[in-house]
Order: sequence, then structure tokens, then C-alpha cells
Amino acid sequence: MNINLAIADRARAGEALTPAELDELASADVLSLGMLADEVRRARVGDVVTFVRVEEISGPPSRPEAATARSRHSSPEISRAEADASGASGATGAGEVRICQMPATLSETIALVEQVKAGAGSCLVTGFSLADIVDRSWGDLAEVLTQLKRAGLDAMVEAPLDRLADAGAVLQACQDAGLKVGCLSLQKPGGVERTPMLIQVRALAARFPWLTTIAPLSREQSVTVPTTGYDDVRAVAMARLALPGVPNVQVDWSQYGPKLAQVALTFGANDLDRVSVVNDESLGRRRSSVEDVMRNITAAGFQPRERNTGA
Amino acid sequence: MDLKAFEQRIESGGRLTADEALQLYRHAPTYWLGRMADGVRRRRHPEGLVTYIIDRNVNYTNVCVARCNFCAFYREVGHGDGYVLGFDEIARKIEETQALGGIQLLLQGGHNPDLPIAWYEDLFRSVKQRFPDFKLHALSPPEVLHLSRMSKLPVPEVISRLIAAGLDSIPGGGAEILVDRVRKLLNCFNKASADEWLEVMRHAHRAGLRTTATMMYGTVETDEERIEHMARLRAVQDETGGFTAFIAWSYQPEHTERGGVEATGIEYLRTLAISRLFLDNFDNMQASWVTQGGKVGQLSLAFGANDMGSVMIEENVVRAAGASYCMDEVEIVRNAEDAGFVAKRRNMHYDILGGPFFREHAVPRTLELSTAREAGDNSVPAELVNYPARSAAGKRQRSQPPASPVA
Ligand code: SF4
Repeated sequence: MNINLAIADRARAGEALTPAELDELASADVLSLGMLADEVRRARVGDVVTFVRVEEISGPPSRPEAATARSRHSSPEISRAEADASGASGATGAGEVRICQMPATLSETIALVEQVKAGAGSCLVTGFSLADIVDRSWGDLAEVLTQLKRAGLDAMVEAPLDRLADAGAVLQACQDAGLKVGCLSLQKPGGVERTPMLIQVRALAARFPWLTTIAPLSREQSVTVPTTGYDDVRAVAMARLALPGVPNVQVDWSQYGPKLAQVALTFGANDLDRVSVVNDESLGRRRSSVEDVMRNITAAGFQPRERNTGA
Repeated sequence: MDLKAFEQRIESGGRLTADEALQLYRHAPTYWLGRMADGVRRRRHPEGLVTYIIDRNVNYTNVCVARCNFCAFYREVGHGDGYVLGFDEIARKIEETQALGGIQLLLQGGHNPDLPIAWYEDLFRSVKQRFPDFKLHALSPPEVLHLSRMSKLPVPEVISRLIAAGLDSIPGGGAEILVDRVRKLLNCFNKASADEWLEVMRHAHRAGLRTTATMMYGTVETDEERIEHMARLRAVQDETGGFTAFIAWSYQPEHTERGGVEATGIEYLRTLAISRLFLDNFDNMQASWVTQGGKVGQLSLAFGANDMGSVMIEENVVRAAGASYCMDEVEIVRNAEDAGFVAKRRNMHYDILGGPFFREHAVPRTLELSTAREAGDNSVPAELVNYPARSAAGKRQRSQPPASPVA
């Protein structure tokens, strides 16, 4: 095993590793790193893998009761039947209704949230990247977030650290508005140095204990130079080892696909985001069904458990 | 299970029995399998190289009478989408391949009743005449058997005629799982039983050809049958030493008659690792990025693989079943180097040819693999009229002048 055993022991004990220790750990061979991350993950959060089915809304629904009819999916009837068959709660089986695109103005955004909330039943409504909200400069951030919360938004989808100049202040505004954030994330591959980012996450998680999830794989991928499998699983393992105060390490099932997402589970990830509520052929059949997600989780040696955003 | 004892045996070069391999495959932790397989690979390839070949997967025809129920690629005789590539089309593909640094075609196709052995011989000769140094890694054992049956010539004679025409080596396709119970369920027993597949390889090895060996897992076979498949390959390799590499890939279910689901990425890595441990007389294990994607393809290098396979340039069979990953030479090299290896180009014999071609030549990036033909191209090669067809549809077609002959 090509790994510094003293550092590995500190990671096992849940101690806060120094930047130098993190750098040294990151240079271990990929199997040793994965094995350690898997051990730490099992000790910390057991062998359960959670996943959430997300109903994505990419534009304003034409009427409130249609709010949960996905614009990306052609047949709400089919999706409902599938959701019912899978035993999930709610009209569509989604654990979360997520608004993916933000209108141009704050009033349109508030109206969209209200519409979606009206059609979402008991389902949690999430939406937007905190970085997008900040970029719009709609006024005092805490006030904007409060208005969105009042409109029915239960949580922001994410806070991409490489796009937020002062993540602490932005998260404080969320806290003041009573809005949770689904996860800390990264927008661009290679946009930030890994170790300083992990140290920053550790500090943010200590300041805001409600931050429980990190999504360490970037939201964007280069078509010509995508991140490699080694890059991805190292990023997942390092997130698990560096952040004893952040219980959930998340991978986007739709974006990264079943192969990488499943392998990532053995490198310390314990949560799969963005499982579709329907068979979305545009993503390929293998990236869609709940059965497939459960099969992949089980085949990796874990227990699947469906969650909603609040769990 | 005493993993320590297995560790000692594997590290000292001891051989696993089939029962032991099965036990490990089923029960050993994935990381343990990976570490052991990685250790074996490092001992066998201590120079830290990851190899790859620049070649092109060309499927000369999709017309097939075998009708394997796991195959999404074939078309029945007379089907409107059925095609046969012309000699000139294949020559153009070779020119494109050479421009990218390619040195061979991996040439495989359906069991087309309207292509007699003379067509293959003429094709091989025409390739060798135009491109004397270009290699033909062609015709999997079931295709050789199909030619043997059609021409009523024994397999050794078919092989020696093909060698005389220009065949350089034989790909290990069509093995699926070399257990007849499985082959019957997959409707591929008739194209070649397990014994027949292995016998073709023995003949090829005796004739001086090197071949690869493959395994397509994840249909109806049991774990025992996967190990039995490997055991049969290992036995032939003990006899002949003619296999250069082992390549495992998962069944791709989309658009097939059989349907079902694909085995997972973890299952692939475990299968690769156990094959590295059990097939102790195989030098080379290829990563199947074409079925697993580039990311898990790269991770294969930590689970026993020492070779990234082929740049491919073109791919039709796996794509027909729903997988469409692409890795050009730049990507293959980047992934090998990112994993800490030195990337080297090789030939089918695993002789090192040099460093990355793209570092010495201006080569355009390829972000999507080509297909056999452009959509809607139903042209019939002019030279086909020179070969007698056996099927009624083939006879009809050849009695008419070609609609749009290939230039
Ligand atoms: S796998 Fe080969 S032999 Fe079987 S149906 Fe497909 S093309 Fe024909």
C-alpha cells in the first residue's frame, strides 16, 4: 500500500488533515486512496447510498397544475405510472422538483417559483445556483433570497465555490433568509486548486452546520479534454477524507453516468443526485431508471435508499 | 477465505485453480482484486508502459445469417439496410487510417451467404497490392468457420488460403462465452460451438498466426461459466502460446432481441482483475473503453489492464447496441499518462512502434467514431457481380446493374 500510514490513521480518526497532509494523501496510488476513502466512508455513514429522483423544470409551466409536467420529458402519463410502480411518494415519484433555468427578472423568477410550488404538492421545490442569483445583482442578496423563500422555494440547488468570490457572505445571506443549499459544488473542471478548496469547505461547514453535502465533480466538462476517471475518483476520495464534518459526498448520476457514478461510490461517495423520474431516452436508457440506480448501488456492495432533499 | 494465502501464492507466481478463481471472483473485496491484479501487471510489465494500437474497426458487411440474439448490428439477407463495402471504399478507409498513423484494419463482418471465399481473397490481395505494409487483423473464428462451411474446405485450408491472400492475424471475436449451454441460449452455438471456436484458434496458431481472445459477459452465463471460459482459453494458451491478449467486455443490450441490462462498471473491473489473475499465461489485458467509457476505461489500468486497445477510428457493432464512446489517440495517451504510465504505440504483436503519432504529425482531433457508411448510402459495390450469390435476394441483386456503383 503506497500511502502514508500516519496520515491514513488521522483520516480514519476523523481529524482535520493539514494542507500538506492532504497533498501527500492525494499523491497516493489510486487504489490505496480509494480503499482508505471507502473505509472512512463506511465508518462514518455506513453502507447506505442515498439517491434522489429529481423532476426538472426548465421553463415556466403554462398553468399551475401542469407545473410538474417536465418540459424535458414527453409523456407525463408514462412518468406517473412509472413513479407509482416504483412506490415513491408524490404524484410523479420525485423527491424534489428542481427549477433549472432562471428567468430574466426577479419578479418572473418569483412567479415561476410560486407556480411550481402550487403544482408540486408535498414535494420539495428547489432551484437555481447561488452564483447565478449573485450574478443577477437584483439587490440585497438576503432580501432577494427571502422573497424566493416566501414564494415557495425550499432550498437553493447549489453553491458553486469557484464562482463565488465570498462564499461565506453568500451562505450567510442564505442562512438569514432561512434557505438551505443542496450542496457545495464546483462549476468548472480545474477551476480551483483542490486542497485550498477542501480547506475552505471545511471552514464553511464548521460555520454553517446545515451544509451537509459536497459535490466534488465539476458541473461542466470539456468536450475535448474531459476529466479522467482517475481525476474524478481522486476528487471524490479526497472530499471524503478531507471533510469529516461533511457527511455526504455526492455524484450527479445523470451527468456522470452509471459507470463512473457507481465506481465513485467505492471511492467514498454516498449520495447520487439527479436521478430522473422517467426513462429519458435522450440520456440513453442506461442513465434513467430507478431500477438501474438500485442495481448499480447494490452491485457495488451498498444498500440503496431513496431520499428527498430534506433527508 | 484466506486472502493472505492467496496473496502469497499470486505474488510468488503460483497458478490459481478454476475453483479458487471462482471463489475470489465471487467473494474477494474489489480493492483486493484490484491490488493483486495491479501487482501481477507490474511484475509482468515492469517498464511502466501502457500500449495502444492505431487501427480501424471496419465491418465489411452487416448481412448475417447467424442471428445471434445479443447482436444489434446484423441485418437479414435482403434487408434494405444490409450492406457490403466495396474494395475501393475499404481502400479509402485505409488511406484515412494511415493519415492518422494507423497500421491495420480490424476487419470483421456478418456471415453473409453471398460472399464466397474468393471475395475475401480478392479483397485481401487488393489491399496488400495497394498497401503492402498495411496489416489485416481479420475474420474471427466463426467467420473462418462460415467460410469453411460455405466453401466446403477444411478450416486449415481456409486459413492457409487467407494467409496466402494477405491475412496477418485473427481477432478473438465471436467467443462470447465458450460454454455450449450459454451459446445455445444466445443462438450462437450454430455459428461456432465452444470447441469449434477454440479449434479454429489452434489451427491459426499452428499456421503461425497470432490471435487475440475475447469474452463477452453479462447475458445468461453464470460466474462458473465465465471462469470456465477463461479456463478453456488458458488451456489452449498453454498448448500453443498463440494468444497475444485477452479482452473482456460487457454485453450491450440496447436494440437487441435479447434485451436486458448491462453489467455494471464494478463488475467489469472485477472481471478484468480476475482475468489478470487467472489467465497467468496471457501477457496483455486490454481495457474496453468502448463499452465502459473513457473514465472506467482508464481505471482499468489500476485493475490489471496494460493496454488501452485500439483508437478504432470507426465502430459499428457496439454503437448499434447503444454505446457510443470515443477516444482518439490524444485522449488515449492523455489518459495513460494521467494514470502515471508512458504511452506507446504498438502493433498486433505488441512490438513497440514508438511514441504518440500525434506528437510528430498534425492530426485532427476525432470526437466521434466513424461508421461503416454514411446514413442513406445503399450503394452496391460494382465488383460484387463477379462473385456468385447463394441467397435468392443476392442473386436478384447481382442480376441487376448496380444502382450507384462505387467510383
Ligand atoms: S454477432 Fe456476428 S455472427 Fe452473430 S448475428 Fe451479429 S454479425 Fe452475425
